This record gives sequence, C-alpha cells and structure tokens, in this order.
Amino acid sequence: MLNWEELQESSFLESNARERAKGLVDKGSFVELLNPRDRFHSPHLPVLGEAIALDDGIVVGIGKIGIRPVFVISQEGRFIGGSLGEVSGAKMAYTIKLGLETLERIKEKYPESWEERRPTVVISFETGGVRLHEANAGLLAHAEVMDIIQDARKKIPIISLIGSKLGCFGGMGFVAAATDVIIMSEFGRLGLTGPEVIEQEMGKDEFDASNRAMVYRTTGGRHKYILGDSNYLVQDKINAFREKIQEVVHLPFDQIEQYRRIGSLQNVLQQMELINEALEINPNDAIDVWGFYGNENPETLLDLSFDQFMQKAVRREIR
Amino acid sequence: MEMETMIGRGRDAIEMIVDVDSFQEGLIDDKEFDPELGPGAVIGTASIKGSTVTVIANDAMVMNPKFRVVYSGIIGLEEGYKMALAVYHTMEKDRQKAVGEKRAIVLIVDTPGNGPGKVEEIVGMNKSTGAYQLALAEARKEGHPIIAMVIGRAISGAFLCHGLQADRILSLSSKYQTMIHVMPLTSIARITKLDIERLEELSKENPVFAAGPEFFYKLGGVDEIINTPEEMKASIDQHINEVHELKINNQCDQLGPWGHGNLGLEREGRKARIHVIEKMESEYLEVIDQFL
Repeated sequence: MLNWEELQESSFLESNARERAKGLVDKGSFVELLNPRDRFHSPHLPVLGEAIALDDGIVVGIGKIGIRPVFVISQEGRFIGGSLGEVSGAKMAYTIKLGLETLERIKEKYPESWEERRPTVVISFETGGVRLHEANAGLLAHAEVMDIIQDARKKIPIISLIGSKLGCFGGMGFVAAATDVIIMSEFGRLGLTGPEVIEQEMGKDEFDASNRAMVYRTTGGRHKYILGDSNYLVQDKINAFREKIQEVVHLPFDQIEQYRRIGSLQNVLQQMELINEALEINPNDAIDVWGFYGNENPETLLDLSFDQFMQKAVRREIR
Repeated sequence: MEMETMIGRGRDAIEMIVDVDSFQEGLIDDKEFDPELGPGAVIGTASIKGSTVTVIANDAMVMNPKFRVVYSGIIGLEEGYKMALAVYHTMEKDRQKAVGEKRAIVLIVDTPGNGPGKVEEIVGMNKSTGAYQLALAEARKEGHPIIAMVIGRAISGAFLCHGLQADRILSLSSKYQTMIHVMPLTSIARITKLDIERLEELSKENPVFAAGPEFFYKLGGVDEIINTPEEMKASIDQHINEVHELKINNQCDQLGPWGHGNLGLEREGRKARIHVIEKMESEYLEVIDQFL
C-alpha cells in the first residue's frame, strides 16, 4: 500500500476504499474498526454461492484532522458494486452513531472548548445502493442510515465525497443528498436511477444509455456543481478532497446548514422553484440547464480544463 | 374468480381507514395545496376515531401531465416534495403541542418506484424523495406517531421514502397481492445464476432476498401483517395509541428504523447487524481515548 504522502498525490478516482480512508485524514491517524482480520463478512453471500469480502466492501474507522476526530466511511466499488448489505449497512449506520457518541464524550471532557473539537463524519461513496443478494436487509439498512443522519443534524457535520468510479446511485443517492456538504470531483456522478433503466422507460431516442458523454453530463460533477447540488468541485486528488474537508470541519453550524439542499421547509420550497425552472427550460440535456443559468455557449464548458471551468462556470444562485 | 387486491386503490383505502366524510384533500389545517402539484401523491387531513391525522397516499390511477414518467403511483419530483411539505406543515401546526398530543401521520403505501426519467436525473430526483425521508424522520423524532400501511406495492427506493421512515409499518397480507421488495425473485435469479426453485427453497431459511411482506416481517421491516382491509382502521388506531404511549415514555428506540433493527433480531431474520454493532462498540471503546 502507498504511504500517506504518496496517497496525497494519488488520483481519488483510482484509489480503493482503504487508500481513500487513510489519505483523507491526518498522517498516520486512521484506525480501522472491524478491519478484515475481524472477518465480519456477509453471512448471506455464501448461501447463494457468491464470494465474500472480509470487510464486506466498506472501510470504516476513526482518524483525526487537527484536534478533531473524523469518522470515515469509505465504500469499495470493486466488491459487488460497493453495494450495501446487512453487514456493510450496519457498519455505515453505526459509524455515524459512534460520531454522535463521541460528541457527548467531548462535551463532557471539554465543557468549555468542545466546539473546536467537534467530530465530523466523512462518507466516500462508491456504490449503486442496495446489494441485490440481500436486498431486503440492504433496504432496511438504508432507512437506518437516513434516520441516523437526521439524528446528527446540527450536532456533527456529515460530508459526502463523490469522485470514485461507480459514482453514487440508488438509495445511496438519497443518503448523499441528505448529508450536510457534498464535495465532488468532475469524475464523480450523483443520481438515483441508472441510465439503462431510464432508457428502458423513455426510449432510446429520448435517452441513449450508450451515449456515455451525455450520461456523464446528466449526473456528473460539473453539472451538479453548476446546479448547486454539489457544494464544491475539486481536482481528482486525495489531497484536494482532504483540504476541502479541512476547511469545512471548522465552519460553524449555521453556515453548514446553509450548504444543505434538503432537510427543511425552506429547502423544500427552494427545490420546488428549481422544478419550476426545469419545467420552463424543458431540458433535453444538462447543457440546456447551464445555459439557462447564465453560461454563454454552455457546450464550450465541456472541453475546458478543471481550472478554466472553475473560472468560467456560472452557478445557479440560491435565493 | 377475480383476485382481491387493493393495488391501485389508494383513495378507496383512505375512505376505509379514516372516519366517514372526514378526509379533506389538499388541506393540512389551513394550508391549502395547489391541486395541480404532484397529483400522484394524495395528501390531506382526516380523523381516525375522532383524532386528527395527516394522510399521505399514492394515487395510482392518475398521471402527472408535466412529467411523463410519473404514473401508476410512481413518486416523481413534485410528488416527493409535496409529501415532504405535508409533513413540514403538519409539524408546524402542532409545534406547541406536547409529545402524546401531536397528530399522527398515516402513510398509505402503493407505489412502484421513484420517477426514472431524464429531467428527474438532471434536476436531482434523489433530493425530492430524500427530502421526504428527512421530513418524516424529523416528525417522528418530534413526537408525531407515523404509521405506514402497505396496501399494494412497496417497491425499493419508493418504499424507502414512503414507508420505511415510519414508527410502525403494517402490511396487508400477500393474499391481497401485496408486494414488498427491491427486485422480484426472477431478477435475483438472473443475478445469482441460481434457479427460482432453489431460491425459493433458500428463502424459507433466509428472508433477506425474497419478495413479499412475510419476509419483511421476519426481518423486522413490517411490524404486523393485517389479514383483511376491513381490519386496517382498528389496527392503525391501535398502533397510533401504542406509539403515543412509547413516545411519552421516551422509548423511541423501539420505533422507527432502529426499532425495526431490534425487531429483526427478535424475529431472527437479521442476526448479523447486532454482532456488527457490538463488536464496533467494543473496538471503539478500546481506541477512542486517543482521539479525544
């Protein structure tokens, strides 16, 4: 495995779950919980004759950023598409719960200065959602994660990172949307329904799942950044994500709340305005949306380098 | 003989569940909803045995003319936000009331999915039904009893938003063609390359992949199976009262997704989850001091 310094310069897209988990927190600080030696794998896969992973495709643990504990959840797309089953789902949900438990410990130990030590949860998504081999348990685990995210509201920030190969889809698309802050790279994709299902529903003329560039634009980091669904767009490097996390963990909660897209009456009313705008645009392509929000010749944004894009792109203003 | 089913009969179910002539559609107390907003979702205020409730149901017989993928009870962009609004206005209305007095929210579930379209993905369908889930979770934690009643289809992500955040989940028995699943067994068979007969055999021992309310019952994802539609009203009323009681006594960990996790252990359908939790907690206690 690469050392911490090498991980910093590594592509986030190419990195596996454990590399991301270690590289996102301070050097040498990451301690994995339920590591592969504990052999907590799915009990359901062997019954169906499927291979297992000793970590069930998810790496969870605790690290530090400065004096703050950071709870990391990192999904491994190379194992059954990063899908959530009973074990991986419980690992995810309980990690957030441990973050909340830690907040109470810190408040007790540092009654005066707990805020500067407030824990954070970071989720590095690479998943299509529910694991079909144990779909019912996976679905129930999703509900549990959503429930605990609501428990964490205004207590500990939850930050989503999306920049891995499989993106973040299915039920995990809800989970990411429900977190406080979303950081994407331009290779990240965030959505709900996979392209093949949309094609099946709408017909190939309307949505051609084999048109990779179009599919990419629909859910890709650049689009989600212009739309405001992604709060930040960063370079495809582990340290680019880490540096952004470092900024966010220090923010006061009233500011973090402003990053949210859903989770309050006010948020919902704002999102309904977005729907009305979409009905007005009637977009055939995400590019039409970029034009509507003030990007001249929006198709030219496609070919820009990351830095040029960041300079040029006009984002939807949230009123 | 025609099979008896409640699929597609969300509006009938409302009438069967609430007091006669008590349902006021599109109204959460004095907050009036635009009738053209999200027609696939029916929201309103009614009473059950004299107590005011908010009702949120699917209407599988209409389509949303603005979004072509929204029909047959699918929850589209507008529907998800409409349902979320109904929850927020319900909370707003009872803000000053004590736990135990806050009105219940009854979810009548018959939905095959979330809007699977292009505009939906461009705008972010994940936010719409995600917003509804967060609203329900907040209302549940504020003290509103939330009871989900599955009368027809409760499929995958649509069940996740319209049902699985409830305190208690009830389902009509599969005699009424009730469907609860992520994927039908035929799809699981294709993915696992095992034949259906083998999967059916395996599902007798292990409820985690098979489709149907009885499997969710074993996993703790359904609290109670209701045998006939006529029993829905009394049963919902009973669960509302029980949930009120538990909330007053601060026993919320027996309710909602966390409570359903415990129920899954009790019914021996989900045994791995608790081992994960216990082992994580003990490893955490060993190392946490170095992070404080």
